[in-house]
Amino acid sequence: MGWKAVHRWLGLVAGCLALVLGVTGAFLAADPVLQARHASPVPAGLSVAALAERVQRAMPGVEEIRRLPSGAYVAYGFDGEQALASYVDPADGRALPGYRPSELPRWVKNLHRSLLLGDAGRWGAAALALAMALISCSGLVLLLRRMGGWRHLAGPVRGSLAQRLHVLVGRIVLVVLCLTSITALYMSSTTLGLLDLDAGPEPDVVSTIGNQGGLPAAQVPMLQSLGARDLRKLNFPSATDPEDAWKVTTRQGQGWIDRYSGQALAWQDSTAAQRVYDWAVVLHTGESAWPWAVLLGLAGASIVLLWWSGLFVWWRARRQAVRITGNSPPAQADALVFVASEDGSTWGFAQALHDALVRCGHRVHTSGLEKFQTTPSTRYVFVLAATYGEGQAPTHARQALERIGRLPVGTAPVAVLGFGDRQFPAFCAFAKALDQSFRARGWRALLPLECIHQQSSQQFAAWGEALALALGEPLALNHAPRVPPSTTLTLVSRQDYPGRTDQPTAILRFQWPRRGWRDRLRGRGLAHFAAGDLVGIVPPGVGVPRYYSLASGSEDGFLEICVRLFPDGLCSTHLHGLKPGDAVQAFIRRNPGFALQGRRQPVVLIGAGTGVAPLAGFIRRNDRRTPMHLYYGGRDPAHDFYFEPEIRGWLREQRLASLQTEFSRIAGGGYVQDALRRDASRLRDLLRRGAIVRVCGSRPMGRDVAQTLDGILGTLRLSVQQLKAKGRYAEDLF
Amino acid sequence: MSKHVSRPLIASTVAAACTLALPALAQGRQLTLTTQLKNYGGDGAYLAVYLTDSKGAYVRTLWVAGGKAKYYKHLTDWNRLSGSDARRLAGVTGASVGAGRTFKVTADLADALIDAGYEIRIDAAAEDMRDSPSDVRMPLTSQSVGKSQTGKQYVQSLTYQLK
Repeated sequence: MGWKAVHRWLGLVAGCLALVLGVTGAFLAADPVLQARHASPVPAGLSVAALAERVQRAMPGVEEIRRLPSGAYVAYGFDGEQALASYVDPADGRALPGYRPSELPRWVKNLHRSLLLGDAGRWGAAALALAMALISCSGLVLLLRRMGGWRHLAGPVRGSLAQRLHVLVGRIVLVVLCLTSITALYMSSTTLGLLDLDAGPEPDVVSTIGNQGGLPAAQVPMLQSLGARDLRKLNFPSATDPEDAWKVTTRQGQGWIDRYSGQALAWQDSTAAQRVYDWAVVLHTGESAWPWAVLLGLAGASIVLLWWSGLFVWWRARRQAVRITGNSPPAQADALVFVASEDGSTWGFAQALHDALVRCGHRVHTSGLEKFQTTPSTRYVFVLAATYGEGQAPTHARQALERIGRLPVGTAPVAVLGFGDRQFPAFCAFAKALDQSFRARGWRALLPLECIHQQSSQQFAAWGEALALALGEPLALNHAPRVPPSTTLTLVSRQDYPGRTDQPTAILRFQWPRRGWRDRLRGRGLAHFAAGDLVGIVPPGVGVPRYYSLASGSEDGFLEICVRLFPDGLCSTHLHGLKPGDAVQAFIRRNPGFALQGRRQPVVLIGAGTGVAPLAGFIRRNDRRTPMHLYYGGRDPAHDFYFEPEIRGWLREQRLASLQTEFSRIAGGGYVQDALRRDASRLRDLLRRGAIVRVCGSRPMGRDVAQTLDGILGTLRLSVQQLKAKGRYAEDLF
Repeated sequence: MSKHVSRPLIASTVAAACTLALPALAQGRQLTLTTQLKNYGGDGAYLAVYLTDSKGAYVRTLWVAGGKAKYYKHLTDWNRLSGSDARRLAGVTGASVGAGRTFKVTADLADALIDAGYEIRIDAAAEDMRDSPSDVRMPLTSQSVGKSQTGKQYVQSLTYQLK
């Protein structure tokens, strides 16, 4: 079982109960914070003897003085029959009001440490602490794997909202949670009797009754030598038992003193186990260190967030996972298919290849690339590899290159098929690296490397034809892309831009059916979306969705896209034919790298044509008035200045800080990059101050903008590539 | 009320024991103690019920409520006095007693212990609260049978019967 499995299953199973400990723990952490206000400053050099003298003067019936972990002193005693307990001021022994043993109900503490089940519950809570320690450790291993080592631990986190939350929160509280679990285990083992803290039986000592009366506290040498700051507990000799002795407990140990002579009768040093225990209590409860208690409380509460986001990540991955049917054991298979995929989409292609090979009579084994291994029966090897982030391997296949480099070269020929998106500079970089590694090691090639763009089924089928030729078999690949469950959207309004010479464009605004809480909980219905995310539209009769950038978010209450008609475009034709009241099937695809997640830095928005749509969405929701600067490029202001009235309105409302436009088909016009060049010095200034950049438009426009910006940034020793790596520059190109 | 009363009471019973010189019965007597705790507002209390002789020396443990040995040091008097009694826990332990609850203890006593200056004591302690050594002390006399004694902090009432 790998770290991931440990983390997942312990998290899912023990996690629900750990929630109880987390929430109650967060609640209990309030106690040290509330208690801290009762702490009084201790006068420098105050001895226990002086303290006892002062308290006794103010409270003649005092029997015991304790110093609480918060730093407050409490005196207990009797006034006749009446039991007394109150805070005392160490400066003068005066009683202070407000003493209560705890500020919180006791059941919370009992729920936290024993789940209200007595000793059985204590064992249960200890088991949970052990589980929590394991979850933290496995979490650290997974975190290091995901981030690429200690040096990148603080780097930016990519992924869905739940993934990011899990990693961001986990990264901060992991150490605290690990520490609390370990200290909890130590504390449990003492309570459950597995560890003995005591130095042995207490000595049986008595004061020797003589002629003289009891010695006042101020004259007892041992009490004079002990600092009031180190005191834990001081018991006065009993008024009714003449043989009783002083008993004093400090961090270092406990002593007994003859009440008449003032001579020390016995001293026991506290054991090492006891000292460790004292530290464990401070670390676990935060008592005597309230800022630490605040941190502990936050860590406890964060378990809720971690559990929820972890559950969500697991559930999403499970829904997206493709289970390979008809897998043969590797030792018997003649065809091996290895898959590297971050989000699971490549597994669908693997299943299609797997099925096609089985239909041709092969025995096929398909598994993750991290398990790469050939056997004597292997005749063909296929590697289907997606690329993650900036050309990295998907997380589960991080060690794959190294592993392939280590294993002996097999006799079976290898075919590598890459999956990626040409929008990214490192298109299919991982597949390319794999292919090169195979060739360099001396594996034979079954087919040259092929790279599939945006999960194109057509391209995949074409590769299948090449494979059929190479194998000399009638192989046919049928890959039906998995379309997520869709929701019916209803067109409520449209705004048309007929266009002068080229194709018309329309801004379409849709409504979606409201979700009840039940649907929300189950993740049914239209997912929450933000401007910059994508909506997948499934035209009737076509299985393949088309994606459009969203010009609005869920908060706006409508879903808006800007669609240009393409002559042979099935989807755009369908959309342009819609009348208000008509319906389409749609689903949300998140675009986490592009959407602006509540950032506070200034924003430079660069868009051309319909590419202005997500940028308009950003500005529309700029309620915090973050400085946003829009550079817009079109052809003719009379025909294709989309969202113009809104944009002018946003300028007035200061949702938009500045607007620069450039139109190519008017006299003296140009492209959006010309507007950038014109504004070079201001852009340099913005980017030096940490501004982030969002670019949306056609692919050639994106390339030109990046080149132009590289030119502008040259003097700052910055580049678009560097900005991209920091997550400050993102493109949505089509 | 009891604190002021208890001293004369002991004095008078000791006097009675000396003067009356009850006939010594061969068989023992059964002691049934009923203890009700106050609503002291804390977790279940640890209690030690034990006998001391007329000099205050430990004689025997009648009952210990609370199962964790690591907390016995909070029953300070009993823990100190009974330290040398290896059998102090033999067959006389039970669960801790919740605030406001009543519990009963029975024990067989030799006749010689009654009206002979012996005393029943209860030490009590609860988590995060004060230890209360000798929370209640009551002389073991036939005259005290059925009478109620209030403790300092934890014990609302202690009564006993002898059969």
